[in-house]
Amino acid sequence: MNSRPAKPDKSFLPKGAELAVPPSRAKVIGLLGVALALNLSPWPDGIRWLVPDFTLMVLLYWNIRMPRFAGLGLAFLLGLLVDVIRGLHMGLNALAYCAAAFVVLLLHRRLENFDVPGQNLQLAPLLVGKEALVLTLGLIFGHGQADWRWLGGGILAALLWTPMAWLLDRLTGRPTQPHAE
Amino acid sequence: MSRAPQAPLFVREMGLPARFGLYVLFSLVIAAIDTRYAALNEVRSGLNALLHPLRVGLAMPWDWAREAGGFFVTHGELHAENARLQRERDRLLILQQDRQAMAAENAHLRSLLALPNRPGVTAVAAEILQTAADPFSRKVIIDKGKAQGLTPGRPVVDGAGLVGQVTRVFPYSAEVTLLTDQAQGAPVQNLRNGLRLIVSGTGADNLLEVRFLDMHADIKPGDWLYTSGIDGVYPAGIPVARVERTEPPRNTPFAKAFCRPIGGVGQYRHVSVLNVQPPPQAGGPALSEATRSSAGSRP
Repeated sequence: MNSRPAKPDKSFLPKGAELAVPPSRAKVIGLLGVALALNLSPWPDGIRWLVPDFTLMVLLYWNIRMPRFAGLGLAFLLGLLVDVIRGLHMGLNALAYCAAAFVVLLLHRRLENFDVPGQNLQLAPLLVGKEALVLTLGLIFGHGQADWRWLGGGILAALLWTPMAWLLDRLTGRPTQPHAE
Repeated sequence: MSRAPQAPLFVREMGLPARFGLYVLFSLVIAAIDTRYAALNEVRSGLNALLHPLRVGLAMPWDWAREAGGFFVTHGELHAENARLQRERDRLLILQQDRQAMAAENAHLRSLLALPNRPGVTAVAAEILQTAADPFSRKVIIDKGKAQGLTPGRPVVDGAGLVGQVTRVFPYSAEVTLLTDQAQGAPVQNLRNGLRLIVSGTGADNLLEVRFLDMHADIKPGDWLYTSGIDGVYPAGIPVARVERTEPPRNTPFAKAFCRPIGGVGQYRHVSVLNVQPPPQAGGPALSEATRSSAGSRP
């Protein structure tokens, strides 16, 4: 099973970065479930608009790390579930989640090569843009006026992505610097 | 067909943009169906029933935090509050007796005038589980649903006044659209002069407005607005709002009045869902029975 030697001795080959063990599917689903529960939690009314979309943050994390498992289909299903949780018309978040996941899946080869803060910079427009997309879609489907304060949740999500990715890295046993020499 | 022991080397599937296009199409179709037709209500209702235990469970830590905060109340505060509640209860009991006497008198007078009885009202107490995270409207989720006999359209009140209306009913929970929602309105009557108006939400937390007001309408800051009961949804006489200020017509031919809701819209955790029993039909057997019974009970 374990092919690694029990006692790591000084090998004569140069040691590169440690390869990350891919996390199990149960872990992926479980962490997505925790994020959904955070979104479902009854946050106080006054700060409801400031609560970031944890589900999307975790989904994008898995899009980068496990693009074969966490693809567009998962994004679509999660989006529908979030629509039901938030009491919105079904399909709004599903579309926004698919759009965000699509961009990340297109770029995941590039994103993999960045450290977490570097990824965060590239994901920030996506996290804010998703909130803007949901608000715009709601306007298109005729929900009256939108409350643009909700973009604040996207901005907070962009700020919180680095700590969240760091935490998920620790939880799933990924080395901090994947390409550190 | 034998399954390959490992994943195939070359995966044949649609390209990412094509799959994305398909999912976008799905989403748009679902959104259009859900916006225009009621076809997906059962799906939503079922998913909400599945989510209900989770909602209740996730509300618990917040309740505990609130209780832990309220644990360190001094004996003096509790004593003072108890005394205040006792006084309040005595006052309400006296009012209640007065109300019973007036209800009896009212029923008697109505029978003399051969008017139908006022609709009766029963209430279901409910607790607010959470506010719905919807940037387009003001809604809350309550912990009573179809199982407790709720139906869409029921008025929701708290101790002070009107809070909103039940809009979606799930098996064990329901969605209440608050009075402050921009698409929500209530027919009201000015208590001072009986002027009939429609109060609408603005989407802001603590502000209602009367939109299409006649330039010379007799409405002043400080007026109380009560439900008029003519829509058949809200029973008459529930306090709704107090007028804060009026605005003369500027760009439109209509004046506006801004009001503050009286019910604790978005403040309290406990509300009551009213069930309005329709008044008996005039001339029907119910009326004659009611007349007879009230006539019989006359001393």
